[in-house]
Amino acid sequence: MKLPELDGRTAVITGAGSGIGRGIALVFAERGAEVVVADIDPAAAESVADEVRALGGTAHAVQADVTERESTDGLLTASLEACGRIDILVNNAGVGGAPGWWERSSPTPEDWEATYDVNVIGIVNVTSSFQDHLQERRAGRVINIASAAGRRGAGGFAHYSASKAAAINVSQGFALQLAGHNVNVNCICPGLLWTPLWEKIAERDLIKSGETAQTGRQVFDERLERSTPLGREQTPEDVGKLAAFLASDRAKNVTGQSINLNGGSYVN
Amino acid sequence: MDLSGHVAIVTGGATGIGRAIGMKMAEVGADIIVSDIDSDACQRTASEFAALGVRSAGIPANVTDPDAVGRMVAESIGQFGKIDVLVNNAGVAGAPGWYDHAVSREEDWSFTFGVNVKGMAIVTEAVLPHMKEAHAGKIVNLASVAGRQGRPTLPHYSATKAAVINYTQSLANELGRDNINVNAVCPGLLWTPMWGEVGAKYAVNDPTYEGLSAREVFDKMIENIIPLGREQTPEDIGDAIVFLVSDDAKNITGQSLNVDGGAFLN
Repeated sequence: MKLPELDGRTAVITGAGSGIGRGIALVFAERGAEVVVADIDPAAAESVADEVRALGGTAHAVQADVTERESTDGLLTASLEACGRIDILVNNAGVGGAPGWWERSSPTPEDWEATYDVNVIGIVNVTSSFQDHLQERRAGRVINIASAAGRRGAGGFAHYSASKAAAINVSQGFALQLAGHNVNVNCICPGLLWTPLWEKIAERDLIKSGETAQTGRQVFDERLERSTPLGREQTPEDVGKLAAFLASDRAKNVTGQSINLNGGSYVN
Repeated sequence: MDLSGHVAIVTGGATGIGRAIGMKMAEVGADIIVSDIDSDACQRTASEFAALGVRSAGIPANVTDPDAVGRMVAESIGQFGKIDVLVNNAGVAGAPGWYDHAVSREEDWSFTFGVNVKGMAIVTEAVLPHMKEAHAGKIVNLASVAGRQGRPTLPHYSATKAAVINYTQSLANELGRDNINVNAVCPGLLWTPMWGEVGAKYAVNDPTYEGLSAREVFDKMIENIIPLGREQTPEDIGDAIVFLVSDDAKNITGQSLNVDGGAFLN
């Protein structure tokens, strides 16, 4: 007995060409939503849209750069053309720094700028582009993807942590702003997931420590062992399932919350 | 969402929020043990759940009495063979008549702590050996938005709900390696019998609400503190708990989820 909880809903997911965004798109499609797979990399977006179609779902691939308001306005137009209306917006696009950040032992001004531009302003741009549409319909759900790193400062990764803390705060701001229009805004703080981002974090840790005997996956597993009471990694599907809950009728009175999905590594 | 084959105990499960939690879980197939201090009410609510086609039994217990709780848990396992889910919902706002007093009395502090915190620990301790042995389990504790931030009027109650959030965190950390998830839900404003008392208290003690009926106080408070502008319902709390005890939330533990229309942003 599976609730078709997102049947008939339409969802836009940014950064959906890989990792967590892809996981969210697949879970949403499995639960009945029509999805717009948005990514800066059009080939990646198309490939995930194909995966959704292969599962029997409906998907549209759209290229979008969340750091450019013109591009996010274009995402709105393309989404409305494809789906007619949008019920759910998932702001998932994120970066760990400027290109090549994982090869640097400490963040440069470019890394600070890139994380702020994508992880914070990206949410602001996309949400602003979609805001009027959601408000007019007096319905809608916005779900932002922050990080466990945004809950607590991280040594050596301060630029990323700070941007994710800002993402949590921005979610609260939009929640208050949109509550009067019956639009709920929540946020998810994922913990340890073996995604392309974490592969690079591990690579960076290995470069910093000069360790050659270890693999990136071992770095990840050690962190997991140290920090996670449940003792297991979280997955993009986990994030998709929490996002599906937040997008469903079941969470109609949940707004302004940032929910930790981290196996217990940080609790509040 | 499918909980068929799962067995859940809900304390304070006969009425109000507890009943709605049991109902939501039963609707997706869970077998429900309705525990409550009121024996007749237990049986009545269990019959309602059984009518949905799940197994249900009313097994009364006073959560502040370790012996009674031990018997309730033993009887639950005897009848159902296992316990997958424990929802610690039993709670009180103060000692009987608390709302007639301007200031919390000693008995309000001891009574709320006894039921809301110690009672929760007593039931949890009774269920834990079973869950540990099964190397699986889901526990959800009912806290309150009052536990997120102290407010005037019922400090004794708020303090116990803050304790519930904290207890949830300790337990989650301790039980992670036993594959037991422990989370809490913090309801916001729900028009329950308890809020009838809370409203009466505000009308007497807070100039903002002076002379209003309890329901009027409630409505005004929604207007003042709930961004979404509407009350939450027992069903909302049941929905959140069904999610938290389902496989969808298998990697969520130690968290307290506010279901409060945005009153407190966590």
